[in-house]
Formats: sequence, C-alpha cells, structure tokens
Amino acid sequence: MSAAVATPARSRDAGDVGAVLRLLPLLARTDRQSLATLVLPVVAFAVTTALLLTVVAGTIVFIAWEERDVLYPVLGAVACTLLVVPLVTLSGVAARLSARRRDDRLATLRLLGATGRSVTLIALIESTVVAAVGAIAGVALHVVLVPFVGLLPFGGAPLGAGALWLSPGTVVVVVVLTVAVAALAAASGLRRVRITPLGVRARTDAPPLRGLPALIGAAVIVAGFLALQVVDGGILVFAAVISVVLGATVAVLNLIGPWLLGVIGRIQVRLARTPAQLIAARAVLEDPKAAWRQVSGVAMTTFIAVVGGAGMSLIGTAQDIDQILVDIRVGVLVTLAISFVMVACTVGVTQASAVLDRRELWVNLHRAGMAPETMDGARRRQVLIPLVATVVFSACVGGILVLPLIGAAVLFAPLSLAVVAACFALGFASILGALAASRPVLRRVLADPESV
Amino acid sequence: MHVHPSSPPLLHAVGLTKSFGETTALAGVDLTVHRGESVAIMGASGSGKTTLLHILAGITTPDTGVVTYTGPSGAVRVSELSDAERSRLRREQFGFVFQQGFLLPELTAAENVALPLMLGGMRRGDAEAHAARGLAALGLAGMEGRRPGQLSGGQAQRVAIARAQATGAPVTFADEPTGALDSATSGEVMGALLGSTTGAGRSLVLVTHDEGVAARCSRIVRVRDGLVLSDTAAASR
Repeated sequence: MSAAVATPARSRDAGDVGAVLRLLPLLARTDRQSLATLVLPVVAFAVTTALLLTVVAGTIVFIAWEERDVLYPVLGAVACTLLVVPLVTLSGVAARLSARRRDDRLATLRLLGATGRSVTLIALIESTVVAAVGAIAGVALHVVLVPFVGLLPFGGAPLGAGALWLSPGTVVVVVVLTVAVAALAAASGLRRVRITPLGVRARTDAPPLRGLPALIGAAVIVAGFLALQVVDGGILVFAAVISVVLGATVAVLNLIGPWLLGVIGRIQVRLARTPAQLIAARAVLEDPKAAWRQVSGVAMTTFIAVVGGAGMSLIGTAQDIDQILVDIRVGVLVTLAISFVMVACTVGVTQASAVLDRRELWVNLHRAGMAPETMDGARRRQVLIPLVATVVFSACVGGILVLPLIGAAVLFAPLSLAVVAACFALGFASILGALAASRPVLRRVLADPESV
Repeated sequence: MHVHPSSPPLLHAVGLTKSFGETTALAGVDLTVHRGESVAIMGASGSGKTTLLHILAGITTPDTGVVTYTGPSGAVRVSELSDAERSRLRREQFGFVFQQGFLLPELTAAENVALPLMLGGMRRGDAEAHAARGLAALGLAGMEGRRPGQLSGGQAQRVAIARAQATGAPVTFADEPTGALDSATSGEVMGALLGSTTGAGRSLVLVTHDEGVAARCSRIVRVRDGLVLSDTAAASR
C-alpha cells in the first residue's frame, strides 16, 4: 500500500547529523571498564604528541645548523623519518583502541537502524575528541620534557631548552596532524561496523599472508643498497640518496615484517610445548600484521643502531675526531631510546586493550581453572616472539652489511659497543615494564568478573 | 545413569549465603549432588542460581556456609581453600561449559580441548591425541583442525563440552549451555552433555531457563530470592 518515499539527500544528511548529535551525549557515558579504554588512548596520544613535538624541535635545530656542517640537516631529517613512521603507527594503534571501545555499541546502533553514515560520524567525532584531549596533554608533556632534552650534548655543549621551543604555529600543525591521523585510523578500523552490524562479532579468518609483498620489499631494499654503492656526487647528493633509501626501507619493512612473523609463528606453533607457548604462537600467527605493528618501531632503529653503533664506536677510538661524528653517536643513542619508548608505549596500550577486548574469555578461562600466571606467560611471549624476531632480523641485516666494522669495534672499542648493547637491554626492559603494567588490568578484570 | 545416593555426596552445600553490596543473592541454601546425578538449577534472572553455581564450583566463596567436595582424593571444603587451591581444584576436578563456549579463537578445536590436559602437564602430542578421541566421541571427527570461527554454534559448544570432559572431571558445571542455540541444536548439545557426564557415571550441575533442558536432568532445583523453592525429580527424562 505504501509507496516508497524518496528522501532527498540533503534532508537525509541533516537527519543523520541530528541523530548523531542526540546520541553522542548518551554514548559518552562510561563505566569502569570502558573508562580504561578511554584513558589508555589518551595517554598514548599524549606520549605520541610529546615525542613528535620533541623530534620536530630537534630536527628544526639541526636544520638551522647547516653552517656548522651540511650533514646536520640531512641527519636530522633521517632521524625524523625513522621516528615519525612508528609514531604514526602508535597513533593508529591508540585510535583503533579508542574506536574499538565503541564497536559493540555502534554495531547495536546499526542493528537498531542507524545509518552507516551516522555510525561513522559518531566514531569519528569520539575518536577525534579522545585524540585531541591526548594531543593537548602531549603539548604539556612536551613542555615538561624540553628542559631535560635540552641537556643532551650536541655540538660540544648541551642543546639548551631555548633552542627547542617550537613556534605556536608548528605546535598547532603537529597537533592537527596527530588528530587527523587518529580520525583516519578510526575510520578504517570501523569500516566493518559500517558494512555489516553483525560482522563485528563474527570472527573471520585473517587473510593468508602472501610472500609477494615481502619479495617486493626485499627487492626494494636490495635496490636501495645497490644505489648506495653506485651513487656518485657530492656529500649532499649522497646524503639525499641515503635519506630516500632509509625512507623506502622503513616503508617496505612493513611488507617484510608481517610475512616474517607469519613464518616464525608457524614454526613456533609446531614447536610449542606448553599452553602459554601454544596460545602465544597461535596469537602471532592469527594476526602477524598486528604483532608486527606492536614492534615495528624498533626494526629500522635496530638496523641503524647496529650499523651506526659499530661505525661510531670505531670513530670514537680516533685521537682527533670531528664534532659531527660525536654528535651522530649521541643521535643514534637518542633515536634508539625514543624508538624503544614508542614501542613500550605501543605494547602497553595494545596489551591492555587486548585484555579488555577479551575480558570475557579470560574470566571464563580463569573460572575453568587457568592460572593468571599462564595467561601472563602467553601474553608475554606474544610480545617477545615478534620483538626478538624483529631485533634479531634487523640486527643480522645490519650486521652482515658491516661485519668487518663490528669485528673491529669488538676488538678496539668494546666500551662504545657495550653502550649500544646497554641501550638495547634498557629498551627491552622498558618493553617488559610496559607489558607488566598491563598485568594489573588483567588482575582487576579477573578479580571483578561480575562486572563482565 | 548410575546415581549413588548411598555413597558420600559428591557435593554437599550447607547454609550458603552471599550478598553483593545491598543485594542478597543467596539467603541460606542447602544442596546435595550425588555421583552420576544431573541437577538443573532454575529460577528467574536475579534469583541467585548463577551465584549458587559459582559457589558450588569454587569460582566465588560464600559469605557464610560450607561447600564440601568429596573427590577421588577425599573430601575438601571448597569454600575454605585459597584462591590458587580453588583454581587448581577447578582445573583438575571440575569441568565447565558456558553459554558462549569461550573457546580460544586462535586455537584449533583439538588444541582447545587439549589445553586443560597440557595445563595438567600432559605432553602436547598425547593431549591432542586424547582431544581428538574426545571430539570424535561427540561427533566431531575430522574437525580437529578447525578453529572456533569455522564451527557452527552447536559444534563450538560440543568442543566446549569435550574440553570440559578432557580431564575426566567427576563433575561438570554448565551455565546456560544451550542459551545461545536453537531448539534442535539445543537438544543435540544437551544429549552430548548428558552422554559425556551422567552417561559416563559423572555428575552434571547446570543452570538453565529452559524447562525442556531441565526436564532432561534427574533433578530440578528451583531458586527464588536466594532460597531453594523446590528440589524435585524431573518429570521426564
């Protein structure tokens, strides 16, 4: 009887926005569990923004040091490239956590008839607000960090806090970019909700990992190294080629890393003997891309630390060395330290998020008698398998390239090499610390199962 | 079914009370479960039936009252054990089946079933072989390598039953084991659950809203406002 009524696009849009505005205050309410999934991304965005601002400030300082040595701006740009990619990854992880908190509610809204557009708008607005709050907190954190970063010795003296203050315009650009990345990551993470409201709960198989992207990635790296061998020209040309090769390598590592972890996951599944080993190996194999995302930040830095660390150790043995070489050594250590902080932060957020995502499963396995220590063991291995694999792989690639340098460094400059090794040890400790920080989240979930 | 009312009861609960803040979940419950018996606990939402199941299984402790479990190695007061001791008791002596199954999604069906055996120290190869036999007994032969996402609701629940039975638990606790299933699948799952518990001389304690499911048990305990309203033999099996 009733004829189909064509709703004009404009009024439909207006209806969507109106519905979103009415729903937002209701959806903004939080309970204790979902509060944690709000706080975690805020903290992650704060750390991301603070580190980004600090890295940008350092890069700007080195760009201004061009008169001292033309290498300063190039090396500053290289360090910036190395750190910005994983920082964007961390931002994406935080955004996905923030958006996933809403998965169930948004799927329910879809079932109740909300349009895909409304759901997307809600997710985007919420994730953007969370990211903005975190980014603003990050600006404050950056202000606190600057005096300490200013103590780092570059150019023969401490950098000084004064040199690191950014203009308000630069701060605004960094904050806006961080929030924009968060919005994009949230939108991509919620595509499933928009497409099918039931799909969120129905677990589908991870797509099989293909070797072709890994092969392409390996080819790009080989081509890059060949380019470095044949490049001819001034120091600026050489430095520019190095920057491009490093940038390309960082990008293609994301093609090789997940494939490599998939292969390692398969081997680990076969070798697993204990429940913790089996659960961890299966979890890595289930989603090697997610496992890679957690630790990818250390891949390139490890490579640089091995190559640069060996070279710089040997340079340190010379009687009379250029200041820039001393600065490169400090720069390598600072880059390594920042990348480990990023990975620790990513691991902390991802693991806490994983506990909250799977709280019903953990609670019921605990009810069935699985000890929390077994769960902790599985979660620890789930991080350590990809982390160790990534570090060993990157260190091997770097080590093979500069094998004679490393051998010489072991003989002539063991102390400098030990500093790089100690930096690695501290980095691993910080990641284990971040993992341990998610343990109370699991304990609280297990201790208060009635809220599940 | 082999019920042994003359031997010491498998589970014996006396004077159980439990409150959550201002809400009284149990107000003094006595209950006995014998070997080979299947007991359905029924009641409206908030009546205290799930709390009763959790206390009997040592998942939570009562405010007052005692639960005694007489297993193969003698009698233990479940409610007086430490958290770690209760975890161990649940792992080694009790089986659990929940409404959603709660299988680890990354693990295969056989690995999920093998998990409690591996937790008990059995070698992985032996545990998976044992698990495969358990799955086959429940009509899931050939599905050992499938993951929960590749199984239907009824199949996943039968995997959960196989996991609960893997250690040969003398008693299995089931919380709405058919709550998420249609009536035909629900009947199949109940058949599998009863066959692998009471059918093998073991006991089953389950919480359900479904009269049809309860009717297949040997006893029905009805709970209201934290008290046992009635405790009767089921009208039909």
